[in-house]
Amino acid sequence: MPLSWALLASLLLAVAGYLIGRSRAFAVAGSDIRSLHSRPIYHGASVALMTLTPAIIVMIAASLLRMAKALSPEAVGLVGLLALAAGIAGLGWGITRIGAGYQARNVVERIVMGVLIFCSSIAILTTAGIVLSLIFETGHFFQKYNWLDFFLGTEWTPRFQGNSALGILPLLWGTLYISLIALLVAVPIGMFAAIYMSEYASKRVRGIAKPAIEVLAGIPTIVYGLFALITVGPMLRDYFAQPLGLGNSGSSVLTAGLVMGIMLIPFVSSLSDDIINAVPQSMRDGALGLGSTPSETIRQVVLPAALPGVVGAVLLAASRAIGETMIVVLGAGAAAKLGLNPFEAMTTITVKIVSQLTGDNDFAAPETLVAFALGLTLFVITLGLNIVALYIVRKYREQYE
Amino acid sequence: MYDINRAESAVTQQDIKISARNVQVYYGDTHAIKDVNVEILDKTVTAFIGPSGCGKSTFLRCINRMNDTIDIARIEGQIRLDGEDIYDRRVDPVQLRAKVGMVFQKPNPFPKSIYDNVAYGPRIHGLARNKTELDEIVEKSLRGSALWNEVKDRLDEPGTGLSGGQQQRLCIARAVATAPEVLLMDEPCSALDPIATGQVEELIDQLRSEYSVVIVTHSMQQAARVSQKTAFFHLGNLVEYGETDDIFTKPQDSRTEAYISGRIG
Ligand SMILES: Nc1ncnc2c1ncn2[C@@H]1O[C@H](COP(=O)(O)OP(=O)(O)O)[C@@H](O)[C@H]1O
Ligand SMILES: [Mg+2]
Repeated sequence: MPLSWALLASLLLAVAGYLIGRSRAFAVAGSDIRSLHSRPIYHGASVALMTLTPAIIVMIAASLLRMAKALSPEAVGLVGLLALAAGIAGLGWGITRIGAGYQARNVVERIVMGVLIFCSSIAILTTAGIVLSLIFETGHFFQKYNWLDFFLGTEWTPRFQGNSALGILPLLWGTLYISLIALLVAVPIGMFAAIYMSEYASKRVRGIAKPAIEVLAGIPTIVYGLFALITVGPMLRDYFAQPLGLGNSGSSVLTAGLVMGIMLIPFVSSLSDDIINAVPQSMRDGALGLGSTPSETIRQVVLPAALPGVVGAVLLAASRAIGETMIVVLGAGAAAKLGLNPFEAMTTITVKIVSQLTGDNDFAAPETLVAFALGLTLFVITLGLNIVALYIVRKYREQYE
Repeated sequence: MYDINRAESAVTQQDIKISARNVQVYYGDTHAIKDVNVEILDKTVTAFIGPSGCGKSTFLRCINRMNDTIDIARIEGQIRLDGEDIYDRRVDPVQLRAKVGMVFQKPNPFPKSIYDNVAYGPRIHGLARNKTELDEIVEKSLRGSALWNEVKDRLDEPGTGLSGGQQQRLCIARAVATAPEVLLMDEPCSALDPIATGQVEELIDQLRSEYSVVIVTHSMQQAARVSQKTAFFHLGNLVEYGETDDIFTKPQDSRTEAYISGRIG
């Protein structure tokens, strides 16, 4: 029996269990419904959950075993039957337990809690799994390539014949340079937009402008990349780089930075908006009541009060900028370079991860494995930023509660 | 102590500080203040009493134009401060608020140091030419609000770290530091315990020598303790206005009588 059928069957069993449980509870109660510890629907629900839970546990366990290759695909039919049997057993047991003193309500509560814990642990375990696999592959890489050369090398020239220079510094530099430009664009514009929205705009303007800004957040990054490639890049080259004699490359750090900045504007502005709105109105009243103008109120009272939260928002924006790939590929190119000229093409860690893993690759070669080391480095950087950001945001929240 | 003060105030001839003529306030379609006429004296504590929702705060906020910050609020009529119409187009509400200070129901110190809280007003209005003068203003204001001895050794600690009563006195010091002429207080003691309330009430009595103080309170005992004049509001109307003693001992209007004897509100 295929698993999907077993699942459907156990669902039907659970529904039946619910109905049986409920009517048994009514029967037990007789005329005085208050003699029951729990309302009949809880009796029904507890039977349903007791049917479903063992069936699902069997199915999940079987899937895990199969992933670990401890179970042959042919055993699947058996698993379905086993799951169904577990469900029926649960159903029977659940029905027998119904009685006036049975605390069905508390049982349901405990099962619900178990399900919630299970879901949270899936999220945590997945993260741990991803990190472990990264660490594992990175370990392989460092067996084949000196870690000092990786972290301190200023050359990035992978050659599949071997003898590559795989220094992370040019990539790290490109990543930070582009992210810095992106933040320089996104933070002031996003913040000022948020200040206007929350402090100055009338309800009507707010109602139109806020969704309009948030539309920006819904655009896929590849579309931003196209915009960088066909509009911003050539424009910067023709009107700035060439006249100024700073190069004639269509893709440049500045292109990617500007476009990434635009992408981040709605992110920064909606986070800042939330944070600014969380500053109590009484703070503003206090400042206005002392005769401050609206802009003095914002500069001297609202922003200082909101500052830690805004810093957190900026760090979150930074970690998004660092992880962005598509805009960089199309906007800044793929040339790994350590340079200061913002009109030159450069590239970032994420782009190189993609390029090392696409095409024919040999998972034993350091040129391929380096992608995992790059990924882990990126992960550590963004994780660090997120932790600092969350810490700051949380600290700030406490201030007004 | 209060009795002596009150006796004095009765005999001194006092100037009219604020005079309101036919003031109406609307919040959208709600008519919150209906045709209020009142004359508030200088160097006097005036209490606004009345059941909650009767418009006390609304009327108080008209006097420093804080209602301008509410989109849907609309004010008609005239309010004069020293004879000058504060709703005249030439009057800058920002400047008006420096002259008419306000203390709010919930203590709202800024998330800054105690010193910076008090120095906030003097700084934005350029009241001090140098650090020494600013220090003097801060000390004087904190002394004036009976907080100096408690905080003089920790002026650079955050104002938000003080107790509720201290925070409210800090807010009073902050308002006083801006050198206002009128001080509006909207239920300044409602978030305070009895001891802190006593301290703030004592402070209000002292402030009377320099300012015209208007205090909204839901406590009739408090109105009787601190004020010389009392105005009773009911459903947006100013029902009765007069000497505090008269309002509480021989009210003219039946609604006032019902309120002070606890039958409405
Ligand atoms: N910001 C506002 N928006 C709309 N209605 C308001 C607002 N503030 C007060 N009101 C209304 O105005 C009336 C008077 O309120 P308020 O002046 O706060 O009364 P009080 O201070 O005497 O309790 C109430 O009916 C209240 O609902
Ligand atoms: Mg009020």
